[in-house]
Amino acid sequence: MKRLLLAGAVVAVSLAAPSAASALNVYAATSLTNVMPEIRRDASYSFGGSHTLQLQIERGAPADLFLSAEPAEAQALYREGRCARPVTIATNKLVLIVRQGDPQHVGSVYGLRKGGLNLSIGNASVPVGEYTRRLLRRLRLTSVLSANSVSQQSNVGQVLSQVAFGGADAGFVYVTDARTQRDRIDSLSIPQWAQPAVRYQGCVVRRGGADTAGATSLLDAIRSSRGRGLLRRFGFGLPPRP
Amino acid sequence: MTRRAGTALALGVVVAFLVVPVAALLVEAPLGRLPSLLGTRVVRDAIWVTVRANLAANALVLGFGTPAAWLLATRRFPGRALVLTLCELPLVLPPAVAGIALLSAYAQGGLFGDALQRAGVVLPFGPWAVVLAVAFVASPFYLRQAVAAFEAVDGDLTDVARTLGASRTRTFWRVVLPLASGGLVAGWVLAFARGVGEFGATIIFAGNVQGRTTTLTLAVYQELDSNLDVAVAMGVLLVALSAGVLLSYKLLETWRSSTSTSRVSFAPSPSS
Repeated sequence: MKRLLLAGAVVAVSLAAPSAASALNVYAATSLTNVMPEIRRDASYSFGGSHTLQLQIERGAPADLFLSAEPAEAQALYREGRCARPVTIATNKLVLIVRQGDPQHVGSVYGLRKGGLNLSIGNASVPVGEYTRRLLRRLRLTSVLSANSVSQQSNVGQVLSQVAFGGADAGFVYVTDARTQRDRIDSLSIPQWAQPAVRYQGCVVRRGGADTAGATSLLDAIRSSRGRGLLRRFGFGLPPRP
Repeated sequence: MTRRAGTALALGVVVAFLVVPVAALLVEAPLGRLPSLLGTRVVRDAIWVTVRANLAANALVLGFGTPAAWLLATRRFPGRALVLTLCELPLVLPPAVAGIALLSAYAQGGLFGDALQRAGVVLPFGPWAVVLAVAFVASPFYLRQAVAAFEAVDGDLTDVARTLGASRTRTFWRVVLPLASGGLVAGWVLAFARGVGEFGATIIFAGNVQGRTTTLTLAVYQELDSNLDVAVAMGVLLVALSAGVLLSYKLLETWRSSTSTSRVSFAPSPSS
C-alpha cells in the first residue's frame, strides 16, 4: 500500500511538472510536422487539424502562434479578436498518389475516369477534402467520385497510409505529404491551371500571458530567406516576398 | 458432421478476420529496424507520456470506481438505474465528441473552466488533460464490470462473515474483494486497453504536444503524415503491449482457477 502511494505521488509530481521553461507554444497544421522543427527546434509544437486547433484556441489553449493549413481558421480567429492579422506563409499543391509502380495503370488524373478503382479522399469538412472537390470541379471530373468507390478520410495521413498499404488504388494529398512516402507511392502531378489556391496562414495569438514577442519573431523567421529555403526544401510553394 | 464443419468454418472466418490484419501489420513492419525506429525521440517521449497518463488514470478509475461500484451493486436507492445509465454514457459517445464535452466542461468559457482558472487549476491542454480524457472514456468499462462482479457475490457468504464477527470493512477486504476479483480484473483489463488506445478525446482536450500530451496513439497519427515506418513500428509496439496484457490476464485466470479455492461456489446447505 505504501509503495502504491509512493508511486502515485511520483506520477502526480511528474504530471504537475511545468513544461520546458515557458517554451514558445506553436499550434500548427499537421502537414507542417516535418518542416517547423527545422525552422525552430526549441519551440513546443502541438500538431493537429487546423479546425481542431482553432477550436482549442477559442477555448483558451495556451497557444502563442497559430499556423493554419487554410486561411479560413486563421481569419476566423482574427475576426474574433483572438489573433493579429494573419499572413500567408506558404502555398501547397495537390497531387494524385498511386501505389508504387502504379499497378492499376491510373497514369494521370484522367485515368480515374475508367472507374472501378478504390479512391481515397479527405472528407468535405477538412481542407484537403475541400480542395480535392474544388480541383475535380475545375477539371470537370466530379464524375470520378461516383465512378469509383470512394473512402473519405478525416486527415491527409490516413489517405496517405491507405494508398501506401494498398487499401486504396489512388488518393489526393498535398505534394509535401507525398514526398514523405517516396518508397511506397508514386505521385502523378496535376495540371497547374486546375490547382486550387492552397494557402497556409500564420497569426500571432492574442490572449493574456501570450508570448507575443516570441511568436512574432518565429513568424518572421518563417518568412525570412532561411525559412523560405526550408519550406521550399520540404516541397512547399512560397508567397511573393513581403 | 456437416453442422460441425459449419461451425468450424465460422470459427475459421472469425479468426482469419481478426488475425489477418494484425499479422499483415507485422509483415509490413520493418522488423529488423524496429529497435532503431522505436528508439527515436518521438517514440520514447510518447511511451513515457502514455505510461504516466495511464498509470494516473487507472489509479483514479480503480480508486473511485471500486467503492462507487460497490455502492451501486449493494444499495437500492431511487434513481439508481438513472445513475447507472449516466455512468455508461461515455461508452456510446464518439471519442471526438467526448473531447468536445470535456472542453465544454473544463475549458475557458465552459461550465467550470473559468471558475477553475480563477482557482489556478488549468486542466485542458496539459498532462492532466490526457489523464482525464483516458479516465473519462475508460472508466465506464470498469464500472460496468465491477458492478456486475459485486452483484454476483453471494450475500450468504458476507452474512456468514458478519455473524462470525468480522467488521464491514474486514468483510469487504477479506470476503467480497477476493470473490469479486476475477470480474474486477476483467473490467480493469478492458478499461486499460481502451485507455491505451484512446485518441479522439485526447487530441481535442489535451492537444498534441510532444513529451507532454502526445501519447502513442497520437504519435501514430502524427507520424502517418511524416514517417510511416515509425508509425507502423509504434503500431507493432501497441499490439505487443495489448497482447502482453491480455495474455498475462489469461494466465492469471488459469492459475487462479487451478490454485484458489475462493472461487468454488458453495452449495447451499441441504435444508433438512
